[in-house]
Amino acid sequence: MPMNIVVLIKQIIDIDQMKTDPKSGEPLTQNIPMRIENLSKNSIEAAVQLKEKNGGKVTGIIFGTDKSNAAMKEAFAMGVDEGFIITGYSGNNPTYTASVLGRKIRELGSVDCVIMGNQSADSYTGLLPGLLSAALSMPLLGNAVSVSLEGEKIKIKRVLDEKDEIVSAQKPCIVSVTQEINQPRLPPVLQIMAAGRKPINTGQAEKGDFEMPKVLSNLAPKSDRKREIYEDMDKGIAEISKIIRGEMK
Amino acid sequence: MKFLVFSEDGNGATGLVTKLRESGEVDSITLGGEESKCINYGSKTVTVLKGRAMGDNSLKAIQAMNPESYDKIFISSSPLGRDIAGMIAATLKSLVITEVFDFTLENEIIRTKRFFYGGKTILEEESRAKVITTQPGAFEAKKVDSSSPLNFVELEESKISLEEEVEKDRSGTDIESASILISVGRGIGKKEALDQVKPLVEAVHGELSGSRPVCLDYKWLSEERQVGLSGKKVKPKVYIALGISGQIQHIAGMRGSKIVIAVNKDKEAPIFQECDYGIVGDLFQVVPKLVSSLK
Ligand SMILES: Cc1cc2nc3c(=O)[nH]c(=O)nc-3n(C[C@H](O)[C@H](O)[C@H](O)COP(=O)(O)OP(=O)(O)OC[C@H]3O[C@@H](n4cnc5c(N)ncnc54)[C@H](O)[C@@H]3O)c2cc1C
Repeated sequence: MPMNIVVLIKQIIDIDQMKTDPKSGEPLTQNIPMRIENLSKNSIEAAVQLKEKNGGKVTGIIFGTDKSNAAMKEAFAMGVDEGFIITGYSGNNPTYTASVLGRKIRELGSVDCVIMGNQSADSYTGLLPGLLSAALSMPLLGNAVSVSLEGEKIKIKRVLDEKDEIVSAQKPCIVSVTQEINQPRLPPVLQIMAAGRKPINTGQAEKGDFEMPKVLSNLAPKSDRKREIYEDMDKGIAEISKIIRGEMK
Repeated sequence: MKFLVFSEDGNGATGLVTKLRESGEVDSITLGGEESKCINYGSKTVTVLKGRAMGDNSLKAIQAMNPESYDKIFISSSPLGRDIAGMIAATLKSLVITEVFDFTLENEIIRTKRFFYGGKTILEEESRAKVITTQPGAFEAKKVDSSSPLNFVELEESKISLEEEVEKDRSGTDIESASILISVGRGIGKKEALDQVKPLVEAVHGELSGSRPVCLDYKWLSEERQVGLSGKKVKPKVYIALGISGQIQHIAGMRGSKIVIAVNKDKEAPIFQECDYGIVGDLFQVVPKLVSSLK
């Protein structure tokens, strides 16, 4: 049965390229390119695979900034059919983020499944799936390493600390995915070019009455390790076994 | 002040309740079967959710406990914990601060610390957040003499049905409580090489842990032994990193260790910036020599 799938796409600065100032510890974020967060790519891939199997449509939503067009075009190239960018993202209050995204999803009307990453690589918040599940009254199928549609139900395999479970729920559902779910595709050039011509819907987020935390500092942690490095193995071993024996007492 | 604490596995509540009991009264919630782990830490009550806990039915049970009446709700981070934290935050329309590893309270103002930019920075914030998720193992647990009275609550049926359960190969170890950890990385090359590391683990009465590729991708060790941003946060007395390059996501899990020792054949490996003592060399030569020198 054709599915109406929404995928939530997060854009972050490329944290692998980001460095911190060796003296002050300040993050050096200027001139660092933006990228689609890895788990968002897994989410797009999962959504597109569901569409390829069952038919239907994938709608991408980015709560981002006026710099989010490139990310949406990349999502189009991977197979997303329609895209909405909501500008005004600030990132510090997941409850606010969820309220903006929840409103947009409700506007879209009948949705079978909302797919997103389980924890994003920059902040590791991991709250959005639960927030949206409660806000939209859709059951949450969390931490999926596989997802499929079975009649009126959505079924996932989820990974927990102590066991794996196969669980299902009546759609519509929220599905959060982990990086193990798939290998996101690299779109062919023709698709990338076609994606560039596709229109993107853009709108501004409504400001709500939400508290933003006050940032006191955001610095690289100080490391006051001794850094006594031995290239002479035997000397190093003698020293280190002394240290270990001392701690074992 | 009044606090509500949720911990899926019971362990996450121990340190958290220890820290919170100084500032007020704590009611804890855990899942059936885990209650024995957290009854001796000074909670006024421990509520035990019985039945198959999923996000939706756990939320209902917690809502019945009147979460609005608490000053703050602390949730130990875990897959179910994070799902529930989001749901509670949505119903209370409250700010949430997540994955907190340190905090101080001043009435309703909370000062929190958490990692940002994938572990490259520490973000210190001040807010009136009502819901906070915390990293398991972040706070020291101290028992009290008394045990908390238990409340048993039967969970309603969830909208999510269980079709199949796959038990994991689990050794039941708790690397967070080991005082010496021998942690192996991709540098050990293959699973069989663990046999060459084990004599060191025995010599120091330690436990084995590993980096993410070792635990998750290659499965040379079980997932519960993974140290790092997406694994366990450990702070042993001695952390010995063998063949671990020291990427930031790994460091985020072992930064609290008292002494860090690293063995790596690459002089430029970032782990040497994050260790107290390091040997540049082949771990397969260093480990046996270290074992005999310890005897
Ligand atoms: C969102 C996210 C979350 C992550 N979470 C975690 C996490 O929780 N934990 C984690 O560990 N990683 C995590 N990672 C992965 C992390 O970025 C690194 O990829 C990983 O830590 C590297 O593991 P490693 O050091 O074992 O392997 P490598 O980086 O491959 O390092 C292997 C090292 O072994 C050395 N070596 C090789 N042979 C020998 C020998 N014979 N003797 C001595 N040294 C030798 C090499 O010089 C090299 O330095 C995460 C990544 C992301 C994006």
